[in-house]
Amino acid sequence: MSDVLEQTERIESTMLDSPWVTIVWNDPVNLMNYVSWVFRTYFGFSRAEANVRMLQVHHDGRAVVATGSREEMERHVEAMHDFGLWATLARAGE
Amino acid sequence: MKAFRRSRHQFVAVFNPDEAGTLSILASQLIALLEDLGSREADPAMLRLLPDAYSDDAEASAEFRRFTADDLASRKATNARRIVADLATAAAATSATAVKVNAQAAEAWVRSLTDIRLTIAARLGIETDSGDGSRDTQSPDPALLDLYDWLGFVQGSLVDCMDR
Repeated sequence: MSDVLEQTERIESTMLDSPWVTIVWNDPVNLMNYVSWVFRTYFGFSRAEANVRMLQVHHDGRAVVATGSREEMERHVEAMHDFGLWATLARAGE
Repeated sequence: MKAFRRSRHQFVAVFNPDEAGTLSILASQLIALLEDLGSREADPAMLRLLPDAYSDDAEASAEFRRFTADDLASRKATNARRIVADLATAAAATSATAVKVNAQAAEAWVRSLTDIRLTIAARLGIETDSGDGSRDTQSPDPALLDLYDWLGFVQGSLVDCMDR
């Protein structure tokens, strides 16, 4: 599954030419319905997309939720910390 | 406690006075913790509330924290104050009282309930997610664990209402 994840990150970064990603990590505290709600509310994901990403966090331990410039990703990470989600940013493909 | 349900444009739950009082105290304790930011850098709860932004770059994480921590802590404290204010009547009552939370306040509630649960999880040493609902705690404290579960129930019921 991590291969698929890396591949997804690589494809996203290649297609968008955006070298940074926002990653949300699994933690034992955050409720699944809350994480899904955050993804829909903040990123504007559809219900289906939000659930896919939420389940990816839950099962794979992490999910890439955004790709773009470093400044943009820092804003997303700060917003995720506002929601109490465990998020980091990194260069795509790392 | 009766779980949150939607009533037109707001969300309503029924709290016993002791339940409202307990949640109000927890929210106040969170505010005190956030106001004491500078002296709590090594506090595991603080690391859950304001986690590292870079998983493998301590320097960049420290810089990110320098630019964002005060504002994040201030917004988190504002959210917690919303809970204290909304619970004031129910906490002072002598019988179970309906607590009405409007849509805007609900956003503060779910964020702050997360922060309170993150703090308690850090105290309990809840660090791993078994995926089957059971918890691996380092220092089991049954009363605190019950409280943690109850807060999850409160938050979950509110998110369910907001999610529709």
